[in-house]
Amino acid sequence: MNSFSVLLRKELRENVRNFKLYWIPIVFVIFGILEPVTNHFLPEIMKSVGNLPDGAQFNWPQFQGEDIFVSLMSQYQTIGILVIILAFMGTISSERKNGTATLLYVRPMSFGSYFLSKWIVINGIILGSVWLGFFAAWYYIQILFNPVAAGDVFAFLATYSVWIIFAVTVVLFFSAWLSTGAAAGLSIVVLLILQIIDSVIGAFWTVSPWKVSTYATMMFSSISNQSGFWMSIGVTVVLIGALMFLGINSAKRNAAKTTV
Amino acid sequence: MAELANIPWNLILPLIVLQLILMMVALIDIIRHRRTNGPFIMWIFIILLASLIGPILYFIFGRRQE
Repeated sequence: MNSFSVLLRKELRENVRNFKLYWIPIVFVIFGILEPVTNHFLPEIMKSVGNLPDGAQFNWPQFQGEDIFVSLMSQYQTIGILVIILAFMGTISSERKNGTATLLYVRPMSFGSYFLSKWIVINGIILGSVWLGFFAAWYYIQILFNPVAAGDVFAFLATYSVWIIFAVTVVLFFSAWLSTGAAAGLSIVVLLILQIIDSVIGAFWTVSPWKVSTYATMMFSSISNQSGFWMSIGVTVVLIGALMFLGINSAKRNAAKTTV
Repeated sequence: MAELANIPWNLILPLIVLQLILMMVALIDIIRHRRTNGPFIMWIFIILLASLIGPILYFIFGRRQE
């Protein structure tokens, strides 16, 4: 337990030094503010820079506050996931490459606490950023649109957090298993491309980790599929556990590959 | 000037402040760290000129780890 808290502090200090603790929350909050503001001022922006002919009439869709949460989530599903992958693809693999790992692995530490310390710190940064981004958006939605029920927002955020933890675990697992470049490529395939495939032909099944974000958006509407929702959450949690176990094992197996 | 007064500054101001903070963080890091992929001066211009995307690009691609 003692070595675990040392590792935890080492991770935290590293993320302060490479500024990830600062820039990732700022980026998520900027996107969180941008989404309601641009959606609110869209008609005026189009009028002033859109080069519309005189007298053109458009019926802009009347967005509800809930729609803005959903459209911000789809921003996070692409840009946010990309930021997670690119910022953390080298978490374990680049430590092997640049020799930090040699300094660590000669000490008596368990790979479980090594992997877990990284998992906790990265999840803390990413979940904190995502929640801050949605809270910033919520504040603007209250001002510019209609108030949204707090219970819906927290149910939405809790469900979406499960998907975010899954995404972070996937990136960490590939980083423990493969080199940095391969980890980035496979994470993009698993988190972005499979997500597109699931949304195209996913009507045939109701249970998959890539459906968790869709279930999160259903918190705002009355449509619900309770059994599908809980099954998807269960499958995702089991997958998170399995990926963590495999990640610890491959970190141990790849310990011999460190450059000295 | 009438258009300038019509802009809802109280809504836009937090965005501008956050972008400036992000830019400052990137500039402080690049000046202290000084090791970049590609020319150092090029990254300073990218951070200063590409307002939101510049600092993100620097932190992801421009910053050489260790």
